[in-house]
Amino acid sequence: MSKLVCLVSGGIDSPVAAYMMIRQGVEIVAVHMDNRPFTDDKNLEKALHLVRHLQKVTKSPIKTYVVPHGPNHITFAKNCNRHLHCLFCRRMMFRVAERIAEKEGAVGILTGESMGQVASQTVQNLTVVTQITKLPLIRPLIGMDKQEIIEIARKIGTYEISILPGLCCTIVPKQPSTAAKLDAVTSEEQKVDIDVLVEKSLEGMYVLAPEAL
Amino acid sequence: MYSLLKPCKTTAAIEAIPKERLTLDLDLCEEIFQKHCTIVANAGVMLIVSDRCEVSIHKDGRLILKTDNADLAADQAGRIAGWLDGTPAIRKHTGSGGPGQHSRR
Repeated sequence: MSKLVCLVSGGIDSPVAAYMMIRQGVEIVAVHMDNRPFTDDKNLEKALHLVRHLQKVTKSPIKTYVVPHGPNHITFAKNCNRHLHCLFCRRMMFRVAERIAEKEGAVGILTGESMGQVASQTVQNLTVVTQITKLPLIRPLIGMDKQEIIEIARKIGTYEISILPGLCCTIVPKQPSTAAKLDAVTSEEQKVDIDVLVEKSLEGMYVLAPEAL
Repeated sequence: MYSLLKPCKTTAAIEAIPKERLTLDLDLCEEIFQKHCTIVANAGVMLIVSDRCEVSIHKDGRLILKTDNADLAADQAGRIAGWLDGTPAIRKHTGSGGPGQHSRR
C-alpha cells in the first residue's frame, strides 16, 4: 500500500482530500501545522476531531503529527514582505511535510488545495509552492468547486466538524499576493534561516498514534 | 475607546474596533502591557497577549478577542484601552476616519 503525508487543517477541504485517497487504498499520515497563537485551541481540536472521524468512517488507522507553526509566522512577519506571507507559510508546510514523508517512507504529499479558493491557491501561487518539494504533490480537489467539496464533506460527516467554531488565521496580510513570482519569494526567504525554522518545527512536533486520537 | 464589538464570522472570537482612527506602537505596547498581562507573542504586525482572554492587537488598534463571551470581551477591551490611555504607544489620527475606515484584517 502506498503512503502519503496529508496536510490536515481544521477546514472543509483537507479531510475530503484525505477521504478520497484513503478510499483508493492509500495509507495516510496526517500532519497538522499548528498556527497558534494566530489561531486558537479550537482549530487544533477540530483537526484532531476530523482525523478521528476519518479513522472511523474509513476504518483506517491514521498516525498524526502536530507541528508548531506559530514561530515560523512570527519570523516571516518580522523579516519578510508581508504580501507574500501566505506563500512563506505554505512553503514551510511543504518543507516540513517532506521531512515527515522521508521519516515515514511516504511517497508524496496530499493536500486539499482547490484552485482559486483562497489567495494562496491561484495557478501562479500553487506553482511557487510546488517548487519547494521534490515529492509529488497530490491535489485531488484541484478542479472542484466549493459546493462539490461540501457535498462530499456532508456525505462523509466531516462538514459538521469543519464548520464548528474556530478562529481563522489572524496573521494573513491585508493584501496577500495572488500572483507571486518565485524569485521574489526565494529572495525574501533568504532574509531568514529557513533550515533553522524547519529544524525547530521538527523538534517541536509531537506524534499521536491512531489509538491515541 | 472601543465602540464596536462583533462576533467574527466563525463565532470563535469577538472583534473590537476603535472609535477613532489610530496607530499603535506595538513594541511600546509590549513594554507597557508586561506589567498587566502575559505577552504571548510580538510578531511586529500584531501583538498577542493573554489576560482574561487571549487577544490579538493590531497596529490599527483593532482587537481580536478569543472568546465567545461578549461581556468578557467588552471587559477585556476596556482593560486594554485603560492600559493604553495617555501613553505614547497610541497615536490618534485627527480629521478623518472612524470605525468604517478600518479594514477587516
